[in-house]
Amino acid sequence: MSISKTADRTSRVATRVSTREERPPRYRRLLGWAYLVPVLVYLIAFYAYPLYRNVELSLRDYTVRSFVSGDARFIGLDNFREVFSSPTFASAIIHTAIFTFVSIAFQYVIGLALAVFYNQNFRLSGTLRALFLVPWLLPLIVSASTWSWLLNSESGVVNAALEAFGLPQINWLTSPTWSLIAVIIANIWIGIPFNLVILHSGLQNIPDELFEASALDGADAWRTFRHVTFPLLKPVSAITLLLGFVYTLKVFDIIWIMTRGGPGASSTTLSTWSYQLGFGSLLPHFGPGAAVGNILIIVALVFGLLYIRYENAQAKR
Amino acid sequence: MLNSRLRPLGLALAGLALAGTVAGCSNAKESSDGGSSSGDQQFTFWDPYPQFDGSSDWVKLVSSCGKDAGATIKRTGYDTSDLANKALLAGQQGSSPDIIVIDNPVISTLADAGVLTSADELKLDTSAFAENITAAGVVDGKTYGVPIGANTLALYYNADLLKKAGVDPASVTSWETLNVALAKVKAARGKGITFSGIGTEEGSFQFLPWFWGSGADLKDLASADGVSAVNLWADWLKKGYAPNSVINNTQTTAWQEFATGKFGFVENGTWQMGNAAKLGFKYGVISIPGKDGGAAPAPTGGEFVSAPVQKDAGRYATTTKIIDCLTNPGNLLKTDTTLSYIAPIADVQQQQVTQNPKLAPWVKAVGDAKGRTSDNLGTNYPIISEQMWGAFQNAMSGSASAESAMKTAQEAAASKVK
Amino acid sequence: MNRALKTVVGVVLTAVMLFPVYWMFNVSLTGTSDMRRDPPYLFPLHPTFTGYQAVLRDQMPYLGTSLAIGLGTVVLTLLVAAPAGYSLAKLRPLGGQPLTFILLIAQMIPGIIMAMGFYAIFLSAGIINTWWGLVIADSTLAVPFAVLIFTAFMSGIPDELISAAKIDGAGSWRTFLHIVLPISRNPIVTVSLFAFLWAWSDFIFASTLNSGGTMQPITLGIYKYIGNNNQEWNSIMATAVVASIPAAFLLVVAQRYVAAGVTAGAVKD
Repeated sequence: MSISKTADRTSRVATRVSTREERPPRYRRLLGWAYLVPVLVYLIAFYAYPLYRNVELSLRDYTVRSFVSGDARFIGLDNFREVFSSPTFASAIIHTAIFTFVSIAFQYVIGLALAVFYNQNFRLSGTLRALFLVPWLLPLIVSASTWSWLLNSESGVVNAALEAFGLPQINWLTSPTWSLIAVIIANIWIGIPFNLVILHSGLQNIPDELFEASALDGADAWRTFRHVTFPLLKPVSAITLLLGFVYTLKVFDIIWIMTRGGPGASSTTLSTWSYQLGFGSLLPHFGPGAAVGNILIIVALVFGLLYIRYENAQAKR
Repeated sequence: MLNSRLRPLGLALAGLALAGTVAGCSNAKESSDGGSSSGDQQFTFWDPYPQFDGSSDWVKLVSSCGKDAGATIKRTGYDTSDLANKALLAGQQGSSPDIIVIDNPVISTLADAGVLTSADELKLDTSAFAENITAAGVVDGKTYGVPIGANTLALYYNADLLKKAGVDPASVTSWETLNVALAKVKAARGKGITFSGIGTEEGSFQFLPWFWGSGADLKDLASADGVSAVNLWADWLKKGYAPNSVINNTQTTAWQEFATGKFGFVENGTWQMGNAAKLGFKYGVISIPGKDGGAAPAPTGGEFVSAPVQKDAGRYATTTKIIDCLTNPGNLLKTDTTLSYIAPIADVQQQQVTQNPKLAPWVKAVGDAKGRTSDNLGTNYPIISEQMWGAFQNAMSGSASAESAMKTAQEAAASKVK
Repeated sequence: MNRALKTVVGVVLTAVMLFPVYWMFNVSLTGTSDMRRDPPYLFPLHPTFTGYQAVLRDQMPYLGTSLAIGLGTVVLTLLVAAPAGYSLAKLRPLGGQPLTFILLIAQMIPGIIMAMGFYAIFLSAGIINTWWGLVIADSTLAVPFAVLIFTAFMSGIPDELISAAKIDGAGSWRTFLHIVLPISRNPIVTVSLFAFLWAWSDFIFASTLNSGGTMQPITLGIYKYIGNNNQEWNSIMATAVVASIPAAFLLVVAQRYVAAGVTAGAVKD
């Protein structure tokens, strides 16, 4: 049988099959809910309350006094108006967009390249691949601090290397031009293992026969990748990109520890701004911080909807 | 298929988990702070010293004060930047500790939130304490806690490097003479001065001696004096007297730069005295100079001991005894030597200097120091401080001129303060 | 490219990726006066072992607790997420799609808000300052992700396998236990890895919910070296190095169980 037909069938990995004759009988679908009970209980117990709190914090005027006594005044969308009219809002949005899209692009491409490379069976491939996860063992305060040290203007090893090549010193963390780039680099580094592991898992699920058949058909490595590997990885790639997007939107520790969102607001993203408004000074100001947090959730919602639409479009094919 | 291969891994993991739990449990008893004896009431005590554990002098002192008052102390050390939020959260949930030791500028925030009892309610006598230090905890005429010790900022200098550059440290008495000294150090292939100009309260802390030393007032950031202080810092970067890393330095990293021996001066605090003894070169300490001469007022660091509001007011009697024990002149010498702080009571300060003459310049600096939340700035201080650090960050990184940065900061602060 | 050359390239790539980790190791052995040296030493030429002495003296109980919390989180996450993934992928109940959506959004709630919410819940449930309370909190980092991963992978299990089991008379539970789970070795290991790593490096939940506890994880143990004005960086980095060793060992062992060609032979023309 030709490759394309087998690939076609296996390619509907994460899609819904909506042809009538394959829908499970009704009792089975009700039974499905039984398996979901633990997750539902879990969601309601642990997510509903914090989410409710977050929305509520953004709709009331919380001072430290009303936070403690619990009787804050309801002010509707005032916190949101304050956020939208702040001069930092535009910068935060732009920085978030740049930070997220650039990080994900590089993380995904590098992760995919590494996954394909380490998928081959050469000596130590397994161990070396596992070692890529070591960065994730470190508490973020340690990895972010290490990057701060590496990128220090005077005593960082990166600038020492640049100097050795006769290039000028770059003020990675203290220049408004470079601070966003510096945190993006650190974030890409932290994101590579995530992409590597999941894409590698996806690669493992492609049956060897397809690769053999492709080789028999005379395709070289690049053509095999383009016509066999990449299409079959699409569903796994989709979920990796979506999750990567959601996690990158949330990234806070790395930026905060390396630059505090500064200097000025040059590396402030929505996530760091939310924390800064809420907890960044000695006087916590919960309302606007929660408002920015909710804006982030809405952005993620929009992209989540796009993903669902993509999934449904795949199913109809 | 799967089972036979996973079983050994599963057993290994289970074994590790068991070992981990046993290791954790068996040490749990040893790592709990404070002893426990039956019959005594349990009092919770929070402080921002996670580096001290049960075997440290500080914790032993706290436990003994508790025992003297008839209470068993359960003490927890927290990261200082987190403690204020934890106190607010605990206040909201009704689980406040009995006693809290917390950074002095936060006292007004907690008092504003209604989380703290005043010294009057506790029947605590605060008259012996130095006024300039106690002022940080005064809100609307009421005192909400007593200082446990104070520290402040001064200029450490590298005696060997200054000698080589032909600088006499005693000549540094104003901004002009300081700049002259820095120029000489740079000419002698050294680096001038380093400090912490980071965009957090730590940066503001380091900026205040220069700000106040210019004669400026926190209520008007954009005054000519205030702008001149920002220009002082920005010019140091432009002239190469200070390294670019100051924009991101904490006080620790600034000290580390100084410890390389390449810097003439570092602006740092009392707490580095222990580390100063380990320097590989001779050092000295001078007060931070004011713009036109004299010592600049530096901000007071150091914590206050305070009593959060409790549902059962009957507990306050014991709480007061414990606080008295920690801060009475007799015990204060011990407390402040343990914490490396200057005592907030004049007599005890003299005792400290007698014990350790190196403390003399620090006692003087603390005498000249000022609380950040004093002048009834209270909870307005954090708002002003945040704008101020944004301004000097922008000026130093070149995004804005000192004038426009401070002007923006003042407008933003004015619109937000009460 | 022959195999030996591939190994060399692999080693180089891994070395580049791990350079910051090496730097962390370098700092852990550096004395205070060399910390801000310009230019920095590439190797710790004047090493100091005070950091490691401090770690061995102070941090071992914290390591044990972190290990227990990490493994506990893995178990809880798998228990909650695997059946859910099976249901969403194969049983496809009504309303499954909105649930997937909600799981996505659930991950967007900022950690500090979650922590503040949990503080209230745990306090009233009386499980504050316990290590196993932390297991529950840390699992919230992994469960939505785990359900999405399981759903994605289990959807790819050929329906013929499920039908074959049904013909043999197996109900949905037996199918799940004996057919689906064994084939799902890849997502199980993937989910376990991430659940463990996220629990291992969590700080915000540990700090908010277990600061007063007697058994604390290593992320809080590190704060022994972070005073309010003074940070001992060689001890901090030494803690991170020592903490990473057992976990790195677990990682290398676990990756052997991500099999090659799981569905090999399952689908024939």
